[in-house]
Amino acid sequence: MMCIFSAACILLLALPLLCPAGQAPFEPALSPYDRHILYQALVLFWIGIIGLIVIIVMKLKEAKRTQGMGVHQDEENAPFLD
Amino acid sequence: MICRRCRDWITERYDVDALRRLLRTKYVPSHRYEISYFTGGLTLFLFVVQFLTGMGLALYYVPHSEHAYKSIVDIMTKLRMGWFFRSLHHWGAQLAIASLFVHFFANLLLKAYRKPRELLWVTGFIMITVLVFFGLSGYFLIWDERAFTAIRVATGGAGSLPLIGAPVKIFLRGGIDVTQETLTRFYAFHVSVLPMISLVIIGLHVLLVQVHGMSVPLSQKNRQKEAQPFFPNVFYKDLIVWLLCAGVLVTLAVVFPAAIGTKADPMAPAPENIKPEWYFLFLFQTLKLFPGEIAGLNGEMIAVTVISLGVLFAFLMPFFDRRSSAGRPSPVFTYAAVFYLVYFVVMTVIGFLN
Repeated sequence: MMCIFSAACILLLALPLLCPAGQAPFEPALSPYDRHILYQALVLFWIGIIGLIVIIVMKLKEAKRTQGMGVHQDEENAPFLD
Repeated sequence: MICRRCRDWITERYDVDALRRLLRTKYVPSHRYEISYFTGGLTLFLFVVQFLTGMGLALYYVPHSEHAYKSIVDIMTKLRMGWFFRSLHHWGAQLAIASLFVHFFANLLLKAYRKPRELLWVTGFIMITVLVFFGLSGYFLIWDERAFTAIRVATGGAGSLPLIGAPVKIFLRGGIDVTQETLTRFYAFHVSVLPMISLVIIGLHVLLVQVHGMSVPLSQKNRQKEAQPFFPNVFYKDLIVWLLCAGVLVTLAVVFPAAIGTKADPMAPAPENIKPEWYFLFLFQTLKLFPGEIAGLNGEMIAVTVISLGVLFAFLMPFFDRRSSAGRPSPVFTYAAVFYLVYFVVMTVIGFLN
């Protein structure tokens, strides 16, 4: 059931890609150099995204570790330190 | 120092701790199908992207039949990075609709609509209608040949609804045919009416999610793992999904910039082999299944009535499916949900291949 649903979801998300938006008499006026810079920026963008994801995953693991130890929960009746 | 004073100023006036407490005490169920919980957040993220890019485009778009097309061409060719923002808006719309359909089918299959979440289902269903209309109205604004024909077909299809068809068609078109009046109306729908409605509906939907909490599928009731805190666990996972989506969106915008066809000519005949946007293909394909006349009645009207009844059944499913509300399996409704999903995907693919 899960496999069928996952396959259908992937197909659903890919559907917009399958259907072209139409002919394009007007395309952005980009020189080959502009295009090169753009793809370079895209690669850097992805490196940034992957870096952020790695940091978030590390933070998540750390949160799970502290939760496993039970130190994240507030202790009731804990004395206040003035 | 300034930050601290600002914080003190706010905490003196508002109970910020209540929000902190809510975040700390909010737990999300953990089970085999928990991935479905991220589809709602993903749709919300794409909505925000649409709002931001749409606001930027609205600064340069001219909603007049004589200038609309040229203003889009200018955005694409003259405005610095204009093509990129338009492409983000175009692909954002495609992904938002795809993500909302995934969210819809996930909740339909997992029966997340069952008691007491009927209103969540209703608000979500209204949101699908609003989003599809968002797509349709935005598509028309480019005023190219394909969009013009698509709107003529779509509003004509709405005109085939029994009893209310004619007034609905005239209301949408602002007259008998698709003209400048239609463009004005669709622009008003796209930039003011629909955003207002969607803000209210999304707000209500999110509020109801907070009230009821996440739904757990019946099959997973006794197989749940330990619930995980929303903050930071689920929030971090949401962030990862949003970042990946942002990456895919920007890549699509850069590699496949949004295109625009030739300018619409209201007097010209409809071009051949024209197809609607992908999310209308299953409807388009269904219309093709019906002959022009059935037992002396208009075939298109019967097709539109059958489609409307199918949509109405899906809308009212939480009220029909009493067994799942009582916590018992309801295979008939599971088969109905699978049928809806398979029909949508198969008809869309057939529509694309034809």
